[in-house]
Amino acid sequence: MSGFARTRSIALAVTWRNLNNFFTNPVLIVPALLFPLFFFTAFAGGLSRVSSAPGFNFAGDYTAFQFVFVLLQASAFGGVFTGFALARDFESGFGRRMMLAAPNRLGILAGYAISAFARAVFIWVLLTAIAIVVGMGVGGGAVDLFGLYALAGIVNLAALMWAAGIALRIRSVQAGPLMQTPVFLILFLAPVYVPIDLLSGWVESAARVNPLTAIIEAGRGFISGAETEVLLAFGAAAGLALALAVWAVTGLRRAEAAGG
Amino acid sequence: MSDQRPASIEVEGLVKEFKKGPRAVDGIDLHVDPGEIYGFLGPNGAGKSTTVLMLTTLLPPDDGTARVAGYEVREDGARVRENIGAALQEAALDPYLSAREHMRLQTALHGLPRAERRRRGDDLIARLGLADAADRKVGGYSGGMKRRLDLALALVHGPRILFLDEPTTGLDPQSRSSLWEEVRRLAKQEGVTVFLTTQYLEEADSLADRVGIIDSGVIVAEGTPESLKAEIGEPSVEAVPVDPSRYEDVMRVLHRFGGDDCPHHADESIAVRLKGGSGSLAEVVRALDAEGIEVAHLQLHAPTLDDVFLAKTGRTLEGADQDDEDGDAETGAPNVAAVQPATA
Repeated sequence: MSGFARTRSIALAVTWRNLNNFFTNPVLIVPALLFPLFFFTAFAGGLSRVSSAPGFNFAGDYTAFQFVFVLLQASAFGGVFTGFALARDFESGFGRRMMLAAPNRLGILAGYAISAFARAVFIWVLLTAIAIVVGMGVGGGAVDLFGLYALAGIVNLAALMWAAGIALRIRSVQAGPLMQTPVFLILFLAPVYVPIDLLSGWVESAARVNPLTAIIEAGRGFISGAETEVLLAFGAAAGLALALAVWAVTGLRRAEAAGG
Repeated sequence: MSDQRPASIEVEGLVKEFKKGPRAVDGIDLHVDPGEIYGFLGPNGAGKSTTVLMLTTLLPPDDGTARVAGYEVREDGARVRENIGAALQEAALDPYLSAREHMRLQTALHGLPRAERRRRGDDLIARLGLADAADRKVGGYSGGMKRRLDLALALVHGPRILFLDEPTTGLDPQSRSSLWEEVRRLAKQEGVTVFLTTQYLEEADSLADRVGIIDSGVIVAEGTPESLKAEIGEPSVEAVPVDPSRYEDVMRVLHRFGGDDCPHHADESIAVRLKGGSGSLAEVVRALDAEGIEVAHLQLHAPTLDDVFLAKTGRTLEGADQDDEDGDAETGAPNVAAVQPATA
């Protein structure tokens, strides 16, 4: 078996195991599903009158406006929760089992990335179906929607790489808050409930430098069919994912040096 | 063992030093031949597991060289990993997976051809006596079953060298015995080299072709269990008279068998190292009988690996474990032939 084939075999094995655990354990799957659905219901349903505020300039409806945020949030937290699983594996010694078997340990990281993506896709499907059932207006075409989900996929990868970098350095589930809190802050220091032009004060300042702002704005542009900041959004997402991939790989090297 | 054969494990001056701590491994040398069972014996914190982590490429050494299966652990880690199997100190299993699912994962991680995976997994599950529980989640397994599954997982790719880090710690005697049988079978029938760390004297004594005793990161003794014990000297006999007033008589009789070694006593017992070896036990019994001394307890103490450890370090293995404060130390049963109660 070639080096690439071995690495692929390792990545697929790790993916299978993670997804098997995810889909067969209510403890893992139920919160992963409930949280995005809760946020979507609470934000899109409970705050829909916000769209009537003066200056709320969005081409689509408020359900679509919130759908994009919840989709990106679910993607980011799908990556973070997969990072939790990685930390748990290294804490329990299961990480060593994988490190011992893998000629190329990048395959392990790739396996977690694929499983995080698969989890995210599962949640996207459910979330999208519910949004359509409740009457979300979609102004964008197929290419626009592909762009939206591609952005969500990159966000999922970036969040996984962030969490993996922490998990591989600390190798304990106690690192959970460290993985989760910065992602939570970045998500909520973006224009969550209203367009950025309606924000003011320090929140507006934070949102303007937050790389996630461009990603959310572009996503909302895709779903409403009024594309905006597409290049900036993909550049920011890809840049984040790349930088955080370096962070995760150096974390893997740290774990190797520390004996797994 | 001969140094002419290509070694399975060849280590020179291996060092591992952790930050803010003493040297966990302090320049050890090892030579383990193919098909040999090498027992690495020492108390908690002696450096056994750190050595295993370095030899299995899980931890980079700070100094020295280590070749496993002919490959340098630092430079050819991937090749080393292809040739070894390891069951580390804690059986790291996923409680949500069954034994069969673990096998599926492990065979895939090792890149076995898809067609072989199921057959290989089922063979090992059956061989290790787990067929009846193969589809149950391992979260409900006993400690012995987890250890056996861990061993099976270490064997999926047919490794030439097997590292077992304290494989029987916490197991009941029956589980321990069945694991020993499997280890012996692997070495004798399949020619697998076994590097086994243990804190159980009995385990090292019973299983290992050769034993290395490590303390504070340094190998203090190495050889076959028999040769190490022979270095310590002859066995001793211990007697307790039924009638405490015959204490001096017992002392006098035993003195005849002890040569220059005077009988020593503790509580109610008197012991002497037998200058004529264990063969003179019968003569001791006859001599006590001839003097009309009735004994409540008569016991032959063969030298143990603990005696070797004591001679080399000034501590017993059990005492060393207590000193180390880092574990629930257990030692194996002493190698004792006992006659109790006995009359002569």
